[in-house]
Amino acid sequence: MRAVYGIVVRELVRFLRQRGRVLASVARPFVWLIFAGAGFATVFAGRQEIDYRVYMTPGLLGMVVMFGALLASLSTVTDREAGVLRMVLVAPIRRSTIALGKALGAALLGTVQSIVVGVVLLPLVGLHPTPASVLLAVAGVALASLAMGALGLLLAAGIRSLENFAGVMNFVVFPMLFLSGALYPVSRLGAVLQALAYLNPLAYGVDLLKHALLGSWAGVGYGGELPVALDFVALAAFAAVGLAAATPLLASEGGVTRAAFRERG
Amino acid sequence: MTAAAIAACGLGKDFGSIRALDALDLEVREAEFFGFLGPNGAGKTTTVHILATLLKPGRGTARVAGYDVVRESLQVRRGIGLVFQETTLDRDLTAEENLRFAARLWDLPGGVARPRIEQLLRQFGLLERRDDPVRSLSGGMRRALDVARGVLHAPRVLFLDEPTAGLDPRARRSLWELVQGLRRSSGLTVFLTTHYVEEAEPCDRVAVLDRGRLVALGTPAELKSAAGVGSLEDVFFARTGRPLAEANGGHGGQ
Repeated sequence: MRAVYGIVVRELVRFLRQRGRVLASVARPFVWLIFAGAGFATVFAGRQEIDYRVYMTPGLLGMVVMFGALLASLSTVTDREAGVLRMVLVAPIRRSTIALGKALGAALLGTVQSIVVGVVLLPLVGLHPTPASVLLAVAGVALASLAMGALGLLLAAGIRSLENFAGVMNFVVFPMLFLSGALYPVSRLGAVLQALAYLNPLAYGVDLLKHALLGSWAGVGYGGELPVALDFVALAAFAAVGLAAATPLLASEGGVTRAAFRERG
Repeated sequence: MTAAAIAACGLGKDFGSIRALDALDLEVREAEFFGFLGPNGAGKTTTVHILATLLKPGRGTARVAGYDVVRESLQVRRGIGLVFQETTLDRDLTAEENLRFAARLWDLPGGVARPRIEQLLRQFGLLERRDDPVRSLSGGMRRALDVARGVLHAPRVLFLDEPTAGLDPRARRSLWELVQGLRRSSGLTVFLTTHYVEEAEPCDRVAVLDRGRLVALGTPAELKSAAGVGSLEDVFFARTGRPLAEANGGHGGQ
């Protein structure tokens, strides 16, 4: 377990040392709040039930979780390119320990960033949740971060170089965001998109956050749409499956020696 | 005399249709300084990765530090240190943070790790740079730190895979002094791969590898006298019909 601790500590130290990354992760939701919030608010203008900025708050927290945890565990790609992954792979620890350490580090980063943003964002939009709601929100954020961290590991196993990173952003991160209910209710999407949304771990995280934060608007169709228990089970399942699937890929032979063999030509 | 530090029997590996390693039989003794000499692509790194449990052998078996590389891979990894061709350090962490990270990966308790890190930083001349990020260290210092990381957990066997690639002559010299110092102080077995004959020269015994096959094995003196030549370079030529430098393709490092 010391190894898991070591991997988590390294993730945190690296994050805090990258000033730009810290700033971007904290500022991003506010940029969205201002620009996307203003834009969508005009579209929603006819509806008086909820201020759009309030509506998008759970989604913004979910977005922080996604970027925070996903980008952290995607750093496995950088670890592989920089060679650090080899140091980890030659250590006397199981592959599953490495995957767990990486996912937990990512989860911790996603959770902390989301809490920091939430502390500023909630009062800003006029949301004052009860302690019980806060607890539910934090639990949701933590579990969603773990699911995202595990998913990031799985993606990282499939990405052989940083060049593919843009592809991941375009074909994974943005669809996940738009199909999460962060910006509009999943129930109002067409059947196909709705089905896709339910394959998206972020959707369950955002749904949980809506249960926690938008309870007062549940009656008018802006609260959580799925049972809370289902959200928890789905997130836990995504985390477990992601970790289990990523573990054997972490040290696939292609990762270490095959590359060295190719370099020789 | 305990069991051999490394014992390989019929070890082989294919990558698709490429036979990286044919059928290697090898025994490295405890505390021996063993050289694995061959050109790029000879199968040296493949062999090291199999012995270090990073790669499963396609054929044959091997025991390293007393354990089977396939069935007891965790125990093998506990007993070995491995310095790769390319650095494995985290460039954003400081020298000391890198060692602390490694100490946790190797499950060393803080009370053991702290004095050990202190001692290695001193021994490797890195004490003053301990709080500097690795990216600011010279190539020679990084290599020294790589070796310090490799021996942090006091392994029985240290693998050095082309450790001097990219180093200037002065950094090379100081690296060899460090390695010899470690051998003297701890009776460490060192398994070195290289395509430089001058690095194989001081080894106790040298195995010459070409195209995945062992073509000669013995002390440098034995190899030279058996081939009736004056240098290990000529030994390679006598055994393979090609000059080593040409087989290397003029590239430094693999």
